[in-house]
Amino acid sequence: MRAFDFAAPRGIAGALRLAGDGSAFLAGGTTLVDLMKLNVLAPEHVIDINRLPLRGIRLGPDGLHIGALERMDDIARHGAVAAQYPLISQALLLSASPQIRNMASIGGNLMQRTRCGYFRDMATSCNKRSPGSGCPAQTGDNRGHAVLGTSASCAATHASDVAVALVALDASVRLRGRDGERSVRLADFYLLPGDTPHVENRLRPGELITEVIVPRLQWARHSTYVKVRDRQSYEFALASAAVAVDLRGGKVRDARVAVGGVGTVPWRLPAVEAALRAGQSFERASALAAEGARPLAGNSFKVELVQRTVLRALMEVAGSR
Amino acid sequence: MRSVDREDGPLKVTGAAVYAADHHPDRLAYGYLLTSTIARGSILGMDTGQAAKAPGVLALYTPFNPVKLYPYAKEENAELTPPLQNTDVRYYGQAIGLVVAETFEQARDAAALVITRYSAQQPRASFTDGLPSAAPPPSGTPVVDVLAPGVTSIDQALAAGDVTLTATYSTPVETHVAMEPHATTAFWTADQLTIYTATQGVRLVVDRLTETLGIEAAKIHVINPYVGGGFGNKWGMWAHTPLTAAAARALGRPVKTVLTREQVFSVVGHRPPSSQTVSLGAAPDGTLVAVKNDGVSGKSASNNFYEPVANLSLVLYGSANLHVSRKVVTLDVPVTTIMRAPQESNGSFALESALDELADKLGMDPLDLRRKNDTPIRPSDKLPWSSKHLQECYTMGAERFGWSRRSSKPGTVTDGDWLVGLGMATATYGASRGQASIKVRLRDDGRAIVSGTAADLGTGQSTVFAVLTADGLGIPVGRVVPQLGDSATPPAANAGGSGSTSTNGPAVQLATDAAKAAMVTLATEHDKSPFKGQEVTFSNGEIRGGGREMPFGDLLTLLDVPAVEATATSPRSPVRDHAFRSFGAHFCEVRVNRWTGEPRVSRWLCVVDAGTIVNPKTARSQIAGGIIMGIGQALLEDLRIEPETGRFGNATMADYLVPINADIPDIGVEFLDYPDTLLSDLGARGIGEFGIVGAAGAVANAIYNATGKRIRDLPITLDKLL
Ligand SMILES: Cc1cc2nc3c(=O)[nH]c(=O)nc-3n(C[C@H](O)[C@H](O)[C@H](O)COP(=O)(O)OP(=O)(O)OC[C@H]3O[C@@H](n4cnc5c(N)ncnc54)[C@H](O)[C@@H]3O)c2cc1C
Ligand code: SF4
Repeated sequence: MRAFDFAAPRGIAGALRLAGDGSAFLAGGTTLVDLMKLNVLAPEHVIDINRLPLRGIRLGPDGLHIGALERMDDIARHGAVAAQYPLISQALLLSASPQIRNMASIGGNLMQRTRCGYFRDMATSCNKRSPGSGCPAQTGDNRGHAVLGTSASCAATHASDVAVALVALDASVRLRGRDGERSVRLADFYLLPGDTPHVENRLRPGELITEVIVPRLQWARHSTYVKVRDRQSYEFALASAAVAVDLRGGKVRDARVAVGGVGTVPWRLPAVEAALRAGQSFERASALAAEGARPLAGNSFKVELVQRTVLRALMEVAGSR
Repeated sequence: MRSVDREDGPLKVTGAAVYAADHHPDRLAYGYLLTSTIARGSILGMDTGQAAKAPGVLALYTPFNPVKLYPYAKEENAELTPPLQNTDVRYYGQAIGLVVAETFEQARDAAALVITRYSAQQPRASFTDGLPSAAPPPSGTPVVDVLAPGVTSIDQALAAGDVTLTATYSTPVETHVAMEPHATTAFWTADQLTIYTATQGVRLVVDRLTETLGIEAAKIHVINPYVGGGFGNKWGMWAHTPLTAAAARALGRPVKTVLTREQVFSVVGHRPPSSQTVSLGAAPDGTLVAVKNDGVSGKSASNNFYEPVANLSLVLYGSANLHVSRKVVTLDVPVTTIMRAPQESNGSFALESALDELADKLGMDPLDLRRKNDTPIRPSDKLPWSSKHLQECYTMGAERFGWSRRSSKPGTVTDGDWLVGLGMATATYGASRGQASIKVRLRDDGRAIVSGTAADLGTGQSTVFAVLTADGLGIPVGRVVPQLGDSATPPAANAGGSGSTSTNGPAVQLATDAAKAAMVTLATEHDKSPFKGQEVTFSNGEIRGGGREMPFGDLLTLLDVPAVEATATSPRSPVRDHAFRSFGAHFCEVRVNRWTGEPRVSRWLCVVDAGTIVNPKTARSQIAGGIIMGIGQALLEDLRIEPETGRFGNATMADYLVPINADIPDIGVEFLDYPDTLLSDLGARGIGEFGIVGAAGAVANAIYNATGKRIRDLPITLDKLL
């Protein structure tokens, strides 16, 4: 860990004034401090944002508003979230451990870094950490890596569970920088690795996530988050599926489907959704879940697994059909 | 059988138990290991300029500026050579330097500034690629044949079987990941070394340091009363310990080095990978006529330890014809070492899976097949087992577990989206009794101190000491103070090979008797004693005679004698005409998700015949702990070597998976209570390793029963079940 300056401003404007190249916001610290100890991140200025007024969970007519500093566990257990958006609640509760969920914020969660072992190990090369140095995961240990959205430069998964649920729900993030405020759909926020895996999202230097907004969707009540992994808890997903189904008169009218653990970004599946809207069986629709997959030596099983995970999630929400 | 609470439990849950890393002597400095980032080659140079100038740095030892360490004289399942004495790199993650600084953070940050240049060679890192050229082992006979009269080869015997089976099973690299990382705190007072270090035996450390520091044993005091798990990995002494001791000597101040979690994967040893090709031949009624197991183990190029994995096949089931072979694949990987039930846990996975496969071929219940081949003698040398009640374990287990509800057709039982299967396997581990000395000291405050160099790795050994001493003296357990893990006490058994209780237990009993005798002598001979010249006895903690009784503490106080003590030695078992081993039966239920393949263990019962159980409460934890580790072995644990680099690809606790609570169901443990009086008067055989042996086989068999899929390569992860 390198020496750094530390500040804990009280106001958003103050925080933004301090922020810029070489700075990092500190929320729960469960990603930032971890990676600083490993020397993977070495910010010169650490800006503790925990005093900023970025709290509150509110269900308004336009949807759900979650302050960026709300803790994972508080969001998961919030009555309105659990009732209206079970997939968000479940995705959070299936993440990490209670201790981490109590510390970790939703803003930090969306900004968490990949769990690729090379990224975290300074002794190896990694394009994401050190652009141009190479990607040992392509031929090395890649059982946990992505099969969707990969490139020859990087195949790391985006590790967040709740981001998968949020992408399925068309959520956006509200961003605030010195030049003003803007909203970005989460699906557009994350960037595919391409040749620049070190650029992961559209956040500009010094910009702050202030809020997550989830549009109102009545039928999101019929939703689930299925997370498949080797052990029962405390592990990232090998494959996961966030699914909501609009079921009327015994028929599937509409559906939202996104998958995690398999993509370099949280992966929405419009083709699966379209097939469901067109009345195709769950089996046939879920078979489209891995379209375009490019497996590596150690993770080819994910191609099959992600289809089955989607199928399982659909059946959990709507019974088999 | 009476259960007592762990005597050190309150200390551990309140944080009052002081572990090796918890010591903070005055002027303490902190060490941080530098490790290699190639697997094979040599170090050309190390640029330490920046690091040496970093804040707080006191010293930076490398192969170019080493502390002097002398070669080790003996092999102890650890490195053959001490660190930094040459520029060779033998594996990825090898200790190649030690930074010492005023704080831990300073040492760590300075270490990150060192730039090392290597001349690298291609490592031999793939066990599978090495299998075709596996070589005879560095020690032990390569082949053992036990053949019936007139039989000339095992293959001839196999050919005579009506039903035969051949299959190959493999196990990956596993590692111990004990809760307490390895740590050493060392300081010198003149030429006397005091060292707190995580170890399974303080005497092991004294011996090793004597060799490598070149000082007399009498000058080394090793103290380590509490150990946060060892599982074999704290038997050997690893690079950080001699480096820390030598650095403390060179700097003239105390030094502490704690391995990082990542370093615990490479600086210390691991369980080697294995492959076993098992052939079984049987008569139509299931009687085994031939058992053949060709076992291959990985072995680090840095030492000679390997697992003769096939060995268990020589002793577990009766067969007139037996054959095992032992080969090794030498790899440029970190050191291979003992891990809970070395050879037997891997060996049992193959043998128990093969037996299940044979039962299937025979159309026989797998439990009946095992019953059929139970034997009162050790098949390899025909010695009778000292005390074996395996049939009773099978019967009790089957009944309580509901084995009769098992469907003989795999893949037919479901519960919602889950396929449900039952499996079983024999549990077992060898037993022995070595030599141990123990001291019991009776104090005027009415307490008894029982001491010896033994180690409690969290096993409950110190509670066993307390129970046996208390029972011998006839006082409450709470009045006994066990003192373990101090090299200044009498030489008792190190914690390993499930031999602690079988070896130390009888010595505790002898020492307790000797202390009582010393107390009686004092009572009858001391001038001021009210019992002088009388016939007295010692019972219920009291001296009794002449119609009078007095607690020993009161008598000592009256006589103004602070304490009496006695040391006794219990010898190695002289019995040569019997074989000793514990037996039992695992039964488990596993569920496999029909869509996504996750295997989850949902029920477990283990029936144990391990002789006398001194304290069922802690014994139960030992068995359950072994089973949990076996579930990890079956379903999760897999330390993946990158073939190109020799680096462990998942050497963190987030990526090397061991079970968490949610993976583990309630585990039932039943003890039979048959003291093994041929082993000792105490009759205890030991239980540390027993639980893991057979566990992975039982899981694999249950998964087959659930799904119809026979997985022969551990771990059985969901991708293999899709
Ligand atoms: C052992 C372990 C297991 C885990 N398992 C899971 C899991 O199963 N599923 C899962 O989804 N996650 C998991 N996580 C990740 C965890 O959810 C994240 O570490 C956490 O959500 C990050 O939130 P934080 O508040 O601690 O962020 P911090 O560590 O404080 O920050 C993380 C990053 O986000 C930036 N940041 C924080 N807040 C903002 C903001 N408002 N605006 C802009 N940038 C910001 C920081 O600068 C930093 O770069 C696990 C983590 C650990 C350590
Ligand atoms: S997959 Fe991405 S994060 Fe992992 S080593 Fe390659 S570039 Fe780095």
